[in-house]
Amino acid sequence: MLTTLANIKHILQKELFNGSGERVLSVVTVTKTFKKKKACYLCIVTTPPPVPVVTVCIVKQSEQREGEYKKKRTWQLEEIKWVDGRNEQFETHEFDIQVEKTYKWYALNLHERQNFLAVLYKQIQKYVRAQRAEFRNVPIAWLNDKSPEKLAAGRNAEQKNIQDTDDEEEAQEFTALTDKEATELGKLFSECDFAVKDAEQLIEKLSKELHDLDGANIQSVLASEKQVFALMEHIDKAIAEADSFEKRLDSYEEILGHVKETMEKIGGKNAMIEIANNNNIKLMKELNKVISQLDLPHIHQQALDEPDLKTVGGRKAAIAAAQSLQQAMNSDIDPTLLRLEAVQDQRKRFEKWKAKFSGIVSRFMNNLFIHLGNEMGDNTTMSTELVLPNHLSVHRELTPYTELMHWTKAMDRKTYDGLTRVYTTSLSKIYERDIRNFFSLAKLQISEKLRTSREDLDTSASSKKSAISAAPYGTLGVNREQWGPGVENADRERFDSVLEKVLAELEPVALQEQMFCINFFQMDVISPTSKNTQTTLEVLEKSTDSASLLTSPTSASGGGDASGFPQKKIDRQINEEVRKLMIALFGCLEPELVSFIQSFERIDSFYSLYVLVRLTQHVMSAQDTHSFLSMTFASALVQVKRNFDRFMQQQLLSIKEAKVPKRSKCGILPYVENFEYFAQTSEGIFRKSDRRTDMEKWYLQLVNSIFESISVHAQEHPKTPSQVVRMENYHHMYSLLAQLKVPGLDAMKKEAKMRYTDALKVYVIQYFGRPLEKLNLFFEGVQQKVAQGVKETEISYQMAFSKQELRKVISQYPAREVKKGLENLYKKVEKHLCEEENLLQVVWHAMQEEFIAQYNFLEERIQKCYAGAMITLEFNIQDILNFFSDIARSH
Amino acid sequence: MSKKPTVGPALHKVIMVGSGGVGKSALTLQFMYDEFVEDYEPTKADSYRKKVVLDGEEVQIDILDTAGQEDYAAIRDNYFRSGEGFLCVFSITDDESFQATQEFREQILRVKNDESIPFLLVGNKCDLSDKRKVPLNECQTRAQQWQVPYVETSAKTRENVDKVFFDLMREIRSRKTEDSKATSGRAKDRCKKRRLKCTLL
Repeated sequence: MLTTLANIKHILQKELFNGSGERVLSVVTVTKTFKKKKACYLCIVTTPPPVPVVTVCIVKQSEQREGEYKKKRTWQLEEIKWVDGRNEQFETHEFDIQVEKTYKWYALNLHERQNFLAVLYKQIQKYVRAQRAEFRNVPIAWLNDKSPEKLAAGRNAEQKNIQDTDDEEEAQEFTALTDKEATELGKLFSECDFAVKDAEQLIEKLSKELHDLDGANIQSVLASEKQVFALMEHIDKAIAEADSFEKRLDSYEEILGHVKETMEKIGGKNAMIEIANNNNIKLMKELNKVISQLDLPHIHQQALDEPDLKTVGGRKAAIAAAQSLQQAMNSDIDPTLLRLEAVQDQRKRFEKWKAKFSGIVSRFMNNLFIHLGNEMGDNTTMSTELVLPNHLSVHRELTPYTELMHWTKAMDRKTYDGLTRVYTTSLSKIYERDIRNFFSLAKLQISEKLRTSREDLDTSASSKKSAISAAPYGTLGVNREQWGPGVENADRERFDSVLEKVLAELEPVALQEQMFCINFFQMDVISPTSKNTQTTLEVLEKSTDSASLLTSPTSASGGGDASGFPQKKIDRQINEEVRKLMIALFGCLEPELVSFIQSFERIDSFYSLYVLVRLTQHVMSAQDTHSFLSMTFASALVQVKRNFDRFMQQQLLSIKEAKVPKRSKCGILPYVENFEYFAQTSEGIFRKSDRRTDMEKWYLQLVNSIFESISVHAQEHPKTPSQVVRMENYHHMYSLLAQLKVPGLDAMKKEAKMRYTDALKVYVIQYFGRPLEKLNLFFEGVQQKVAQGVKETEISYQMAFSKQELRKVISQYPAREVKKGLENLYKKVEKHLCEEENLLQVVWHAMQEEFIAQYNFLEERIQKCYAGAMITLEFNIQDILNFFSDIARSH
Repeated sequence: MSKKPTVGPALHKVIMVGSGGVGKSALTLQFMYDEFVEDYEPTKADSYRKKVVLDGEEVQIDILDTAGQEDYAAIRDNYFRSGEGFLCVFSITDDESFQATQEFREQILRVKNDESIPFLLVGNKCDLSDKRKVPLNECQTRAQQWQVPYVETSAKTRENVDKVFFDLMREIRSRKTEDSKATSGRAKDRCKKRRLKCTLL
C-alpha cells in the first residue's frame, strides 16, 4: 500500500503536475465517506518558487482510460476553515475538511492520512497568515514533529525521510523574512528614509558601512594571528609530549614481553621436575614391590635346602617355605622388569631351590607311598566277615603331606604326575587284593549256604555239564520235573542280601578313596599341565592372556568362569580325571563285580532279576552320577539288563518250543503251570522296584506268547480234544492273571476269560452232540417241510413224517437207552478233563442244560405238529432229572 | 473221584449255594482275588482253585460257584454230590432268599445223604444293614435248628469273607480226619450216620 502511495505520488506528479511545473507534497487516497464511489486522490500541491502557492486539490482517475488523471477541484489553503481527524486514534480512517462545505473523507491508507494531515498542517502554518485552519482531533505529535511519518513509518522510513528533508530545504529557500529581520529592515529603512528619495545615497551609505565592516573584520583576523601561532606552538608541544610518552610505553611493553617468556620457561621446568619426581617414586615403589616379592626369608631358604619332612614342625616349616617360594615365583611382576638381571639371578636361585626341594619331596613321597603300600600289603587279615577293608590309616598318614602335593602339582608337574603314578600302582595292588578277597568271600558265603541245599553248586562248570540234559531251572516251556537243579526262594533272598552287602561295602570305600584323592591330588582344581611359574622368561614369549591363566591356582579356580571355562566343562574335566585315577586304583572292581554276578546267574537265571532290581536301586540312589562307582555300577547294570533280557528271551523261546505232555489227559500245559511260579517269583522281586515297567513289558510278551502257544498246542494232543485243552488252560491263565493283578495284564485277563468261555461253549456243543440224533433228524425234516409251507398241523399227513414214523423213531429211544447214553457221555467228559482245573461240574452243568434244552425243543415240536395224537417221548422231564440224580449219586 | 496223587496238598471242595443275586460270586471273587465286582451278571457255573495256608498247613481249596436260578433243581444234584462242604448264602436284605435256604438245605442233605455235612449258613450284604429284611434272631434260630454256624458277611467290605471259607475248610478237614479214622477202624459211627439219614429220607 505504501508503495502504491509512493507510486501514486510519483505517478500524479509525472502525469498531471509536471506539465504545470507544480509539485506534489502529499497525497491521500480517499473515498467520500458513506459513498461507494471510486477512490480519488486528495493532493497538496505547490507551485514552483520563487512564489510558491500551495493548494489542495482533488484528482480523479479517468474512467475511460487508465493512467489519465484529472484535477477536479482546487482550494487555497486560506479557504480551509477547519480539519477534523474525528478521533486521535491512529487507526481512524475518516477525516473532515471544512471548505465552502464539509467534505467527509475516508482514507484508504492510514499512513497516507497521517502524512497528509501533517503536511497540510505544516503548509497552513507556513503560508497562511490570517485565519489559520483549526485542526481538531488530530494527535498533537503529528503536528509538532517535523517529520511525523518517522514515528509510524516502518520499512521505507529512510526513503520518506530523504523526501521529507528535501521538502524542508526547498521550503527554506523561500523562507520569508523573519519578524526580527523585518523589524531590522524596517528600522534600517526608517533610518534612511531618505533612501526612498535618494537611492544612490543609500547605496553609498550601505557600501561604506560594508567597507567598514570588512576592515574591522580583517583587523580582528590579523589580531588573532598571534594567538593562533601560540596555539600552534602548544599543539606542537603536545604532539612531542605524546611521542615521548609513546616511546616509554613501548619500552615498558618490551620489558613485559621478556618477563612473560621467562615465566613460561620456568613453568615448563617445574612440570619436568614434578614428572621426574613422580617417576622416581613409582620406580621406588616398583622396586620395593619386586624386592619384597622376590625376597625369600633366610629361614625359608634353610627349610628348602634341608627340609625335615618327617617331623611335624619341620613339615610345617617346609610347607611354609615352599609356599612362600611359590608365591615369590608367581609374583605379579611387570614383564619388562623381568629383564632386570637381579630379578633373573633371583629367579635362577629360586629355580635351583625349587628343583632341589621338589626332588627331595618327590623322593620322600615316593618312598612313603611304596612303604605304605608294602605295609598294608603285609598285614593281611583274612576276615570271615564280609567286609571290604578301608584304608583310612593310609589316608590319615598322607593327609599332612597334602599341601606338599598341592605345591608339587603347581610347581613341578612332572614330579606330581610321577608321584600320582606311584601312588596308584602301590595302592591299586592293595585294592585289587582286597576286592578279590572280598568277592571270593562273598561267593563263598553264598555257595556255602547253597551247598547245604544243593550238592553240585561249587563248580559251576560241572553243574552246567550235568544240567545240559535238563532244562535250566525255571524254564517256562518245560515241565517242572525236567528242570535242572534249582534254588530255593530263601537262597535267592540270601543272595540278594549278600549282593546288597557287597554293594553297600563298595560304596563307602570307593567314595572315601575318591574323596581323599580329590583332596590329596587337588583334582578339583584345573591347573595347566605346563610350567606354572611367572618369573620365568618363557612366559614373556607367551601371550599375556595365557599368563593370566597361569596365575596361582586359587585365582584360577575362583575366577574359572571369568577366564572362559564354563563351570560345567570344568566339572566334566575334573570328573574325567578323577575317574581315570579311580579306574587305575580299582581296575579289577568291574570285572570282579560282573563275574560275581555272572557266576550266580549261571546257577539260577532268576538271580538276574534280583541283581537288576538291586543294582538299579544303587545306581538311582547315587547322587553323583558321574562318579567312578556310579559309572561302574551303571555299566554292570547294562550287562545285567542284557542278561535279564536274554533270560526272558529264552523263556519266550521255551514256550514256543514246549512239548505237549504225553499223558492220556493233556491237562495244563507246562508253561501255563510254570507261569504261576515264574510270575509270583518275579512279582516278589519287582513289586516295589522302579524296574517294574521292564518286567511288565516282558509279562505282556510272555502272556501273548502263551496264548498263542495254547492254541497251537491244543491241536497236538492225541487224545484230549483241542477245545478241552483250550478251555482248561485259558481257565487256568484267567485265574493266574486275576491273582497276579498286574495292571498291564488286565486286558489279557479279560481275553483269557473270553477264550475260556468260548472254548467251553464249543466243547459242550461238539461233544454233547445229539444223544437223540434220529429224533433230531426227524424234526429237522419237519422244520424243512414247515419252511416249505406245510402247516404244522398237517405235517402228520406227510408220508415221511406220519405218526407211525414218529412212533418208530421215538421207540428207538427208550428211557433206559437215554440214561445209558448220558452215563457214557459223563464218563467221556470225565476222561477228557483233568483234575486240576476242576471243570467237570461246570461242563456237566452246561451239558445238562443243553440236554434239557434239546428235550424241551422236541417236546414242543411234538405238541405243535402232532397235537392230540397222544404221542410223547418215552421219557419225560422227571425221568431226565432222575437220570441226572442217578448219575450224580453214582459218582 | 479223588485220583489225586498223594503228595499234593489236601484239597477241600466247597460249593456255593443260594438264590440268585445274593452274592455267591461276589464272595468267591473277593476271597479269590480281593476284588469286588459291582455289576451283576448271573453265573452259570464256575470253578476256582486257590492255595491257602490253613492253620499252618498248605491246602488247596476248590470253589464251585453255582447258578442261583435253575429251572430244575435236580441239575444241582451233580455238583452237590461233588462238594465236601457248603456255603449256603442268602441276602439279609431279601427274605425270599432266606426262605430258599430251606430248600437248598434239604436237597443237599438228600444228595449227600449226610446230616452233618460241613455247612455254613451265610447272611451276606451285612453292609446294607439299613435295608435289612431278615431279622438276625430268625437267622440264628434257623442255624440252631440245623445245628450249623451262622455268619454274616459283606463281599463288598470283605467282612468275614475269609472267615466263612476258612471255617468251612476247618470243618471239612475235621470231617475228613474223622472219616479216615472211621474207615480205618471200621467204626460203626459212619454206618450209623448213613442209616440215620436213610431213615430220614
